[in-house]
Amino acid sequence: MSGNEAFARGAIEAGIRFCSSYPGTPSTEIATAIMKEAERRGIYAEWSVNEKVALEAAAGASWAGVPAICPMKSLGLNVASDFLLNLNLSGTGNGGLVIIICDDPRGHSSSNEQDSRFYAKAASIPLLEPSSYQEAKDIMPLAIELSRRHELPVIVRSTTRLGHSRGLVELGEIDERPLEKPLRLVGNLFNIPDPHLRHRDLLEKVDKIAEEFETHPFNHFQGPEESVLLTVSTGICQRYVDEALEIVSAKNAARLGLITTFPIPIGLISRTASKARDVLFVEETDPYLENEIRALSTIEEFGISARFHGKLSGVVPSYGEMNVDKAVAAIESVLGIQPRTLDEAYESEVEKARKLLIPRALTFCAGCTHRNAYWAIQKVRESLGGNLIVAGDIGCYSLGAFYNESMNTMQAMGSGIGAANGLGQLERFGFASKVIAVAGDSTFFHACIPALVNAKHKKANLTFLVLDNSTTAMTGFQKHPGSAEQNLDHQRVSIERIVRAVEPDTVLVGDARRIPSTVSLIEDTVNKPGLNVIILDSICRLEEQKSGWIYKDLPKIMIDPDVCLGEDCRICVSEFNCIGLGWDSQSGRPFALDHICTRCGACISVCPEKAIRRKRK
Amino acid sequence: MKHVFNVLVAGVGGQGNLVCGRILAEGAVRKNLRPVVGDTFGASRRGGGVLTHLRIGESDWGPLVPRNQADLILGLEPLETLRAAVKFAGHRTVVIFSELKVDTPGSLVGNTSYPDVDRMTEALESISDVVYRLDPKESLEKIGTNRVLNSYMIGALAGSGKTPLDSSELRVLVGETLKPKKTNIAAFDAGLKRISGLMIGENV
Repeated sequence: MSGNEAFARGAIEAGIRFCSSYPGTPSTEIATAIMKEAERRGIYAEWSVNEKVALEAAAGASWAGVPAICPMKSLGLNVASDFLLNLNLSGTGNGGLVIIICDDPRGHSSSNEQDSRFYAKAASIPLLEPSSYQEAKDIMPLAIELSRRHELPVIVRSTTRLGHSRGLVELGEIDERPLEKPLRLVGNLFNIPDPHLRHRDLLEKVDKIAEEFETHPFNHFQGPEESVLLTVSTGICQRYVDEALEIVSAKNAARLGLITTFPIPIGLISRTASKARDVLFVEETDPYLENEIRALSTIEEFGISARFHGKLSGVVPSYGEMNVDKAVAAIESVLGIQPRTLDEAYESEVEKARKLLIPRALTFCAGCTHRNAYWAIQKVRESLGGNLIVAGDIGCYSLGAFYNESMNTMQAMGSGIGAANGLGQLERFGFASKVIAVAGDSTFFHACIPALVNAKHKKANLTFLVLDNSTTAMTGFQKHPGSAEQNLDHQRVSIERIVRAVEPDTVLVGDARRIPSTVSLIEDTVNKPGLNVIILDSICRLEEQKSGWIYKDLPKIMIDPDVCLGEDCRICVSEFNCIGLGWDSQSGRPFALDHICTRCGACISVCPEKAIRRKRK
Repeated sequence: MKHVFNVLVAGVGGQGNLVCGRILAEGAVRKNLRPVVGDTFGASRRGGGVLTHLRIGESDWGPLVPRNQADLILGLEPLETLRAAVKFAGHRTVVIFSELKVDTPGSLVGNTSYPDVDRMTEALESISDVVYRLDPKESLEKIGTNRVLNSYMIGALAGSGKTPLDSSELRVLVGETLKPKKTNIAAFDAGLKRISGLMIGENV
């Protein structure tokens, strides 16, 4: 099973009854796997509106004695952190609450590469970093138990490579004990009037946990007691180090694999590191452990005289994702071994081969209506002489950044309309551009509403474009409050009604399938002062296909070669650039790729010569 | 066997790359070995490249094959095969790839040109031990669908005898995992036959 499935299985074995989450790569599959089992196991599971609500909901369950998990991606914890840094003081009651936080080193599917371990330190709550699929599963019952015993939220940190790779996992028993009833809320679920005393109590708990962690069975030391090199690694990096030491065939090297990384097992580290000549830290993203241990080593009682190496000394790159090759290079550098390379002739052949490669760029799907929306925005931008700023947001439509640079900004969830609140006040300083904020439907619910209210209240000049395809498309079509189809026990919440309730100066609903009307709708609206909202009905073609919709009954798209201007124009392929259209370089004409084309006909209106048509049946 | 046998399955979204990895991994389990599969897909749904790392050994290895350490690259698409080879091929690497190209969004519309497959084959030969270039077009046309390319390629891998996996076991797994069973088994057999033909030619 994958690491993410292993986390879910471990949570089920631990007897959790509550799971709340917001989808985000690389964490999504954890809650998805729980949802599959939810009914059978008597678990309540939901996609919450955002990570903060998810964590608050999970804490509510735990306070009443219901064991809960809350999986989320790295950036989600930023959203939830306000609550987390109160919850640590108030505690989680008797249920048990584990946050599984999935970091994304290199930002494969994220807008940053963030190390979320600092939240454990900031909140002074236990942090666990499993290193394999088996440990991912096995850690969950221990984490729930730890949380329950100390009434503290526990963070389990995963990374992309652990969550999204798979190996063999031996399953354990499922805790099927019924919940202790009646459910009762614990007392003192507030930190006032003396938060400082709650802080004192928290630190006492941390001291006790630190003692436990000194002998935690998942921390792992291997090798000679007196070593030339001690590697200290966490999470999946343990596997990289194992392999790197074998590749280098390092003699007299020892390994310390740490699973419990807050509070740090100081005694264990000082015992092992004091007998090493050199210590190398291998960890994902930031030098978290390295920083901590370097700081501790300045205390004399710590008794370490070894030389430290890692991201801070430069032998490990301080940005990007770790791998075996980087670990090998670090070990070679510390041990003063000549780097292993293949011969020069071979490397030059590789260079020659590399030069043949061309990129496979990211782009919108065939027929995606987001492309239509950005195309329309570009037309409006042209007619405004370029004086149009588009503040974008997080979702499939973030690809607008790569689509003729239609999107100017993209930061956090909801930051498009947030930033537009500022940009929309700058006319007083002579800022001449019109301002459009773009967000999707799931993002609208997640984080756009406060900014929308603020824009109304402060009379910001902006047009808010909601690309409503009715699904959380980027992460795999999870339902959200606005989705057209809802589970029987859920109730739909209308984006349009929420927007109208805020009473913007203009509210319009458009159809993103129709490009000409979308262009004029946006053009008319951006020129109006005040707060304008356009809800564009949009379609996710992937979801449409997933739900069984097929295009073969629609008339095919064809290009009239006599009308098409060919190389002199190329607007359809070079500017509109739908991947359902190809270019035949021999005839110098475009053609529809019938197996990809969704026959939506969006390209028809894009052609200035009307050369693109529907084939008559 | 040596400690770990490294396989990369290179292709583009929609080619059944991930399921290919699953089948090979299950083949390893049936040989009492421990597979670890790392899926790397940035935007596979949008036609981006997909690379599956499969590591077969007797203990759990990290999910990614280190540089130059591929034992076998199974290429479902020529450009993506070369992309994987540039990073992971070394002196011992066996490359088995399908010559059927899948255009990139750029090459589709003539903004860039898709590299010449013969030149890519030469490049693959210069950076690996041995290269088997397969031409599945005719077989797939006979079977009637190109959606079974992955079964064809697993058949070729099985027929190469270059992995610790068992050929008949893989054939059973393809039949169990991929539907419709009949066409996938036919594709497997065609792939196996084709590479056997290439390998006989090699010995002459």
